[in-house]
Amino acid sequence: MSAVELQDVVKRFGSVTAVDALSFSVRPGQCVSLLGPSGCGKTTTLRLIAGFEAPDRGTVRIAGRDMAGRRPYERSVGLVFQDYALFPHMTVEENVAYGMRQRGVARGEIPDRVRRWLEQVRLVGFERRRPSQLSGGEQQRVALARALAIEPDVLLLDEPLSNLDAKLRQELRLELKALLGSVRTTTIVVTHDQEEAITLSEHVIIVNRGRIEQQGAPGDVYGRPRNRFVAEFMGRTNWFTGRLTQTTGPGRWRFESEAKAVFTVAHDAGREGLAVDVAVRPERMGVERDAANGAASADNRLSGRITVGEYLGADLHHWVRLESGERVLVVEKNVGQSLDPAGTPVVVRFDPSGCIVLPASGAAPADPRGGHDRAERP
Amino acid sequence: MTRLLDTAFVALFGVVLVAAAVFLIVPIVMTVLMSFDGREYLGRFPPPVLSLRWYTAFFFDSYYMVALRNSAMVSTVAATMATVTGVTAAVLLDRYRFRGREALSAFFLSPLVVPTVVMGFSVLMFLSLLGLYDGFVRLIAGHIVITVPYTIRTTLASLVGIKRSLVEAALSLGADERRAFREITLPLAKTGIVAGAVLAFALSFEEVSVSLFLYDPPSTTLPVAILGAMRSQFNLTLASASVVMMGVTAVLVLVLDRVFGLDRIIGAGIYRS
Repeated sequence: MSAVELQDVVKRFGSVTAVDALSFSVRPGQCVSLLGPSGCGKTTTLRLIAGFEAPDRGTVRIAGRDMAGRRPYERSVGLVFQDYALFPHMTVEENVAYGMRQRGVARGEIPDRVRRWLEQVRLVGFERRRPSQLSGGEQQRVALARALAIEPDVLLLDEPLSNLDAKLRQELRLELKALLGSVRTTTIVVTHDQEEAITLSEHVIIVNRGRIEQQGAPGDVYGRPRNRFVAEFMGRTNWFTGRLTQTTGPGRWRFESEAKAVFTVAHDAGREGLAVDVAVRPERMGVERDAANGAASADNRLSGRITVGEYLGADLHHWVRLESGERVLVVEKNVGQSLDPAGTPVVVRFDPSGCIVLPASGAAPADPRGGHDRAERP
Repeated sequence: MTRLLDTAFVALFGVVLVAAAVFLIVPIVMTVLMSFDGREYLGRFPPPVLSLRWYTAFFFDSYYMVALRNSAMVSTVAATMATVTGVTAAVLLDRYRFRGREALSAFFLSPLVVPTVVMGFSVLMFLSLLGLYDGFVRLIAGHIVITVPYTIRTTLASLVGIKRSLVEAALSLGADERRAFREITLPLAKTGIVAGAVLAFALSFEEVSVSLFLYDPPSTTLPVAILGAMRSQFNLTLASASVVMMGVTAVLVLVLDRVFGLDRIIGAGIYRS
């Protein structure tokens, strides 16, 4: 039996279809993330599960029970809001105890349970503080303790880390993962941040325009995106548009881009003349300054010139214009090498198995992130 | 040259500010001093001898005492009912988006722009139509009408500051709508509601023009009584009565400040991010 199950759920707001025939299920104890750009319907999905919205069609089941017509307080759902929504007029202790009081936990039992949960989120000693006296990270932990204290069938997290600064976010991500691992509550995380989704959950559901684009284990979704939207949403990508020209061995095809870049790709189900988009992750490419180096390997080698080198501390970003005219981004770990000046001739090297071959999408799709994460630069 | 003009410009502001302050404060200070005048007749300012004779006169004059009691009664009842009405209306306007919401909101606030003289006359006509001739009933009704806009406004201001997610959090934790309202919304809107109630009481307590249309002799309120006394027997009991009125309002404001903090009420709240 699934802990949470959505079947063919539709939700419209006026003429906008926020959730469009969405179906998925979550196993008990599993942590699933709903990943998508803002406005993709993921938050609406969360609100449908929590009971703040009613679906226009389809069913929402929690622990096997149909939730149709059930108010939020008639469901067993713990919710951590994006802004945490801690009650400002109550102390930390009162906040955590609130749900237990509402759900009829015996009075005598409440202090003990509050203490246990505060231990769990490492906030012992903060009992009498008000939310306004807590840092963002502490507030989030109180919100977690408050939601978990009612021992819900499912825990919903709405953009759990988006209100925190970058450094704190990493720390809390680890902490959150450890906490979720130890309580083993079925969890659904809604996020627009692919790193958050990949690191927190065992199963990623990518949502776009109210529909599921792809779902699977984080590694699958990142490594084998099913379409251009998923590939772009899951990280930086270098794109080549063109066709497969001939097979060069089992599972190997020669690819020729519209700009006449020619290289080998790994693809099982190809045929001659098939129009495809090829995606290569920037971290799967390398640059070589010495053209003769490694010429014997089976790797693809495309020559070009550095246009810009960016120093990012841990990473180096090399923007290369290939001889064919395409621009690619190559990401290298900083191991002490120096940045090349613009104009340096280089060879971009990558393994055919690092190429993701997708059916041609025709016109370039709308950029899911407003452009700043694509490996294309004017 | 530019600098000189700038300085003059700033100085001008200062002068206007001081002038305004003087015109605000001096008459009040004069009234307070005159209320302690020891002379038996209305003499020139300043009083040469101080005494409490006009206060004695005020507190032993049954005309004023009945009026003070009437005012306290009318203002308490009117402010209470205006607060209940105002909170209900504000919650309705804040929570629900319905057709005609804007119109309803404008309608509730309309007494703010209708001249009070017109309000007084209209309320009188309407209540006569209903067959209500009792002075107290009419005064209370009239005072509710003119104070409700204030209770709605202050309540609405504090409700708007309450994030919707707080109520939703309470619901998901197991509270039903009524409990969420009682335990989350009301406590968070408390400052606005109390401010509205106090404002309503103060406005009702000093209200003259609407009251003039609606009172009858047994229900004469203190401001109406002061006005009447000024016309008939001009003496310094007027000054002591005025100071008592001021005192009531001042005490109210002080209590409010002590209990809730005035700046918290005026700049109330937990804003939506």
